[in-house]
Amino acid sequence: MSLTRTLMAELAARLTSRPAQGAVAPATLVAPPPERIFPRQEQRHSPFAEEAAKHTTALLGIGHVGTRYATDVVLQFQAELAVAHEAVGAVLAPDWASSHGLLPLYSRVKDHREFLLRPDLGRRLAPESLQRLRQEAKGGVDIQPILADGLSAVACMGSGMKLLEAFTAACEQRGWSVGTPMCAHFARVWLEDEIGEAVQARVAAILLGERPGLGTGDGLSAYLVYDPKVGRTDSDRNMMSNIHPRGTPPEQAGRRLAVLAGAMLEQRSSGVGLELSHLTAELGEAAGTGYRAPQARQRLVEVHA
Amino acid sequence: MHLAATIRGTVYRFDSVREVLAKANPPKSGDVLAGVAARSAVERVAARAVLAQLSLADLRDHPVVPYEIDEITRLVEDHLDEVAYRAVAHLTVGQFREWLLSSATTGAEIRAVSPGLTPEMAAAVCKLMSNLDLMCVGAKCEVVVRANSTLGLPGRLSSRLQPNHPSDDVQGILLSMREGLSYGCGDAVIGINPATDTAASTAEILRAVDGVMRKHRIPTQHCVLSHVTVQMQALDLGCPMDLMFQSLSGTESGNRAFGISVSLIDEAWEKMKAMGSTQGPNVMYFETGQGSALSSAAHHGADQLTLEARCYGFARRYEPFLVNTVVGFIGPEYLENGRQITRAGLEDHFMGKLLGVPMGCDACFTYHADMSQDELESLKVLLAAAGCTYLMSLPVGDDIMLNYQSTSYHDIPSLRGLLGKRPTPEFDAWLQDRGIMDGDQPGKAFGDPRSLQ
Repeated sequence: MSLTRTLMAELAARLTSRPAQGAVAPATLVAPPPERIFPRQEQRHSPFAEEAAKHTTALLGIGHVGTRYATDVVLQFQAELAVAHEAVGAVLAPDWASSHGLLPLYSRVKDHREFLLRPDLGRRLAPESLQRLRQEAKGGVDIQPILADGLSAVACMGSGMKLLEAFTAACEQRGWSVGTPMCAHFARVWLEDEIGEAVQARVAAILLGERPGLGTGDGLSAYLVYDPKVGRTDSDRNMMSNIHPRGTPPEQAGRRLAVLAGAMLEQRSSGVGLELSHLTAELGEAAGTGYRAPQARQRLVEVHA
Repeated sequence: MHLAATIRGTVYRFDSVREVLAKANPPKSGDVLAGVAARSAVERVAARAVLAQLSLADLRDHPVVPYEIDEITRLVEDHLDEVAYRAVAHLTVGQFREWLLSSATTGAEIRAVSPGLTPEMAAAVCKLMSNLDLMCVGAKCEVVVRANSTLGLPGRLSSRLQPNHPSDDVQGILLSMREGLSYGCGDAVIGINPATDTAASTAEILRAVDGVMRKHRIPTQHCVLSHVTVQMQALDLGCPMDLMFQSLSGTESGNRAFGISVSLIDEAWEKMKAMGSTQGPNVMYFETGQGSALSSAAHHGADQLTLEARCYGFARRYEPFLVNTVVGFIGPEYLENGRQITRAGLEDHFMGKLLGVPMGCDACFTYHADMSQDELESLKVLLAAAGCTYLMSLPVGDDIMLNYQSTSYHDIPSLRGLLGKRPTPEFDAWLQDRGIMDGDQPGKAFGDPRSLQ
């Protein structure tokens, strides 16, 4: 036998004659690690976390186990992620609009997956909806509000009606004619162009669920455009985001949006060219260019005994 | 050129190199949206078979956007290194793939060829590679750069610290930054996306970050990612600025939508070389991402992978310190799910390194993309194993301003521990000195931001 073969035979014999791993010492009692928790609002576990909470909603001062997260942090994170994903995945029930007294409209999107993948189809009305809009909606109005699902049907079903009603009331108070209340399914922002054009509105205002962030899925955004028609772009619009009970409450947002619409009617323009500097106090966030106020982080998981 | 292939008796014909490139691309929702994707899996393989027998010279002769109408095409063509080009021009794309993968081919040899490659060549060979192919070659390519510290050395994994704040609260930014530093993050850059795109706020944030870096002698570089024109104004205000940032697109019209051009970035680079605060020589930072051209209808019928490669062809002119692809940020209409985002991250890293830029990756997803947290963590491991220069780092990976999920402060030391990687040598020494790391293990001050008061 060659030397190599002899060595291999010896090695094989050694490998098979005993366990591959050596014995370990008997297990001793494992002490529970120190408590590391995601902070509750009323209780910060470190001065650093307390200081951080005054200045940012970022999750700071959460500590670590090895180089990873403590169990409580993992659960909070997973809950925040689940809330966001649930909001994105939600779909408006077919009768939701009519049961709330709204004219139901559909974009050209067939289903939820197509809605996410084809923003172009979410920007145009299905032919039947366009026809229904022309037959049933009031024409030649000053303001056409459109409630829509956008990227969070949860937000639409949550604060949607309150925002629509507050905005409508604020517009009527100013003596403007407001279009038929309506709700669009699988809608993207630019759908307001075709709807507004069809009803010959001076200003179209789509109120829709915004893309959820971690732990948030109930925020609405509003996009307003003067002289709506297909072909308008983002620079033609003004927007306000973060509309929900913990951000800008819908009642307040409705009043601010009416101020914004008023500026558009007065200046016969919207978008980057709209002069809003004299309205900063009345408009709040809507005077800016998409600033989104930080949201206080809420502890989402409580286990009950 | 033969632009047809037969598979099981069916003949697949293609009209142009651009169509072959597009149809050879792995499935991406953005290519479907653009109407350029293969109609079936078999047609995709047919396109790859055609692509495999095209020569690199064919690809140079057929850029996806014509020379006459696009300054990025002209930039690449006019500045191509002819000596490097002639070394590989005769190879087919299939042969080039094999040359890259060969054990005999070294990183140095690839680096010598790199200036002779057009982005279309990098994209073409990328389409013939599996994920593991991309990782093997990506790991072999070395791109080493220097600003205040040295990035891209073998065995290193760096990170951008990204302490964003939704209203640019400077205290909030600094608190997050201190926490990140205590986890060993931030050796590539401390980079803040501002909520307000003004010169004054850019300068304010840079001064605050600079103060902390000086006080604690942190060997890294800082950057505020406002528009390049805003950063140029901030330089005029006399603020420190280690790196200058801009998002790039792969076509002239895409860049126009970003408000930039080759001449503007030329001007910014010259200004930065004269007024920037880093020791240099690499002073620019660029971000890219598949789908950005289509989102401004500037794709010229080309696929998003090839257009992404053209961003690197643009970036390399400026010898950047950092380039990264923000791979899952753009949304599911361009990259639908974990599989597509994973693939795109590995592709972009490979193509960037092949074209000679120090490629990092913001491995991330938006909450409306179909990707799980576990899939995202897997992608980080794949990128780190493939030699990706740097990843991002945020508290729990959560960007509270831009609302998406990326790499966390905890992920960076986890990946380094798992794969035996270290930060830049300068930062490594600082972490040891501060007790944040003890060799390759967490030290006494690890995860304790109080040590950076």
